[in-house]
Amino acid sequence: MRLSLILTERRNSFTFLCPSLKTHSTQKGIVVGTSNRIETVQAKRRKYVRSKYTLPEFLVFKLPLLIFVGLLYGMLVWTIVVSFSNWQGTAPNFDFAGFKWYRLMVGLDRFQVDVANNLKWLSLGVIPTVILAIFIAYLLELGSFRKLESYIRTLILYPVAMSFIVTGTIWSWMFDPDKGVLNTILRGVGLGALQGRFDTNPSTATYWLILIFVWQYLGFSVIILQASLRTADIHEMTESALIDGASRLRILLQIIIPNIRSGILVLVSLLLISTLKVFDIVYIVTFGGPGSATDVLAFYMLIATFQQHLVSLGAGIGVIIFLLAAIIVVPYTIYAFRKWFE
Amino acid sequence: MRSKSRTLTILVIFTLVALTVAYVLPVYVVVTTSLKTPAEISQRHYLLLSTNLQFKNYAQAFKLVLPALLNSTIIAFSVTALCALLGGLGGYYLSRTRTPFSRIFFIFVGVAMYLPYQVILIPLVQLMAKTGLALTHFGLIGSNLILNIPFASVLMGTFFLGIPRELEEAAEVDGASKIHVFFRVISPVALPAYASVTIIIFTQVWNEFLLALILATRYTQTIQLKLTEIKGSFVALYNLQMAAALITLIVPMFFFLALSKYFIKGLLAGALKG
Repeated sequence: MRLSLILTERRNSFTFLCPSLKTHSTQKGIVVGTSNRIETVQAKRRKYVRSKYTLPEFLVFKLPLLIFVGLLYGMLVWTIVVSFSNWQGTAPNFDFAGFKWYRLMVGLDRFQVDVANNLKWLSLGVIPTVILAIFIAYLLELGSFRKLESYIRTLILYPVAMSFIVTGTIWSWMFDPDKGVLNTILRGVGLGALQGRFDTNPSTATYWLILIFVWQYLGFSVIILQASLRTADIHEMTESALIDGASRLRILLQIIIPNIRSGILVLVSLLLISTLKVFDIVYIVTFGGPGSATDVLAFYMLIATFQQHLVSLGAGIGVIIFLLAAIIVVPYTIYAFRKWFE
Repeated sequence: MRSKSRTLTILVIFTLVALTVAYVLPVYVVVTTSLKTPAEISQRHYLLLSTNLQFKNYAQAFKLVLPALLNSTIIAFSVTALCALLGGLGGYYLSRTRTPFSRIFFIFVGVAMYLPYQVILIPLVQLMAKTGLALTHFGLIGSNLILNIPFASVLMGTFFLGIPRELEEAAEVDGASKIHVFFRVISPVALPAYASVTIIIFTQVWNEFLLALILATRYTQTIQLKLTEIKGSFVALYNLQMAAALITLIVPMFFFLALSKYFIKGLLAGALKG
């Protein structure tokens, strides 16, 4: 029973894989039984799992995911449609308007501020985080400090469990120029000259918001790089390099970093996507202000859509955010795809 | 060599101190602030603990956030449960099938995982308004579900990839259907994976803000939304703000501290393979 089931299902693939067996069995009828057994063994060795889905299996495994992903892409297409139509005010209006809203968008001062701020987020939210994370991960990896590892891990990783809203609330309190914690402490230790206006100074406010992001994501970055370091297994290489008299800095630059390249790439992609999506921090700490100094695309999209009721403009900004995200996400997904199907 | 290891030690100690200050100070100040009276706060001794601990700040904050806390609990638990179930099924399909379609589909799922919420917000609001779900908890549950299913599927899939196929082969050769194999053979083995994924998804949904901001009504307000409201309407009452912030983060923080092994595994699975 078992044998025949396998055979009827897989005959084609087996004759393709083992032509010699086939000729063997057709020439000498007597060996058929043996060759069948061989085929069964090979079936197991190939780790073959039936790839055809029956109807109930299709309904259970594929359909839900197909529906949800289909819905997501349907909505994406719908947003693109809205961005090319003429929807302003509360009532939907799908008259074709061409690139009207995109042209309007590019000319807006606020849009230009947003792009500049988004670039600040993309660069300053990512580069310092990655450099600090490499440094900390490397320090933790240097043999003798292993005991401290779980302490540091918990210490810097706990913000991962917090929402941007909570972190934003906390840091607003730290930043408050008058009563706030940072300025009070600076005054307390006699460094009153260093007091800052932090998030209330239009020209530097965005940097302080980015600092919150870096603070929150540092621990996450460190554990990703640590995992990458562990799989790279570079202990022997660093040992022998040390014996050869290489400095630790050189080891870091010439052995460690090249070996965790893929980990760094993954981390950079994830951080880029996160900084692009950031809007909660801006919302809770400065609400885009002072003026529109800390505004970002993700925040203006909401304002345009739900406050100014320029729905088509909001959809257009959404499309721009998506295109920027796609530049990062598509290569990243292809990389993940290779790993997944290897 | 000796001097080298000394600079190393100094470097390590310096890093340790810097990190400790950067990560303990905010939480410490938040805790002390949340236990003071407004008058005490204006004396600006942030590092000192109050001599008269104001636990009633917490009582007051708790009373304010209680309905929102319940809403968040309902939403986060429903979404997490559904994500675990549907994500597990989808992830099994993604990890076990090698057809041309499944390969293309994987790319689509992968991109969907990181879709910025802004790009689907307008249709989502329309959809929720049309179906009338926007007025109930189902609106937020459904929206969070749509946005988290691709992530949950890929995450579960990465864990399934690590399970040897021999297990299922034996069962399939005996004629069991995939459904049977999945629920009776794979899922029990994958329980730790389910733990990781549920913790990550729960934290994500609990901390979600954008959807709540747009879709929540007075009756479905989530805890994050309530916190922004408290921050906005009790501007000078930092003690109350901090107490509310601490209440907001206590649930995910519990998961992080009590189940950190699963939490970290989930984070890594989401990052390194997906």
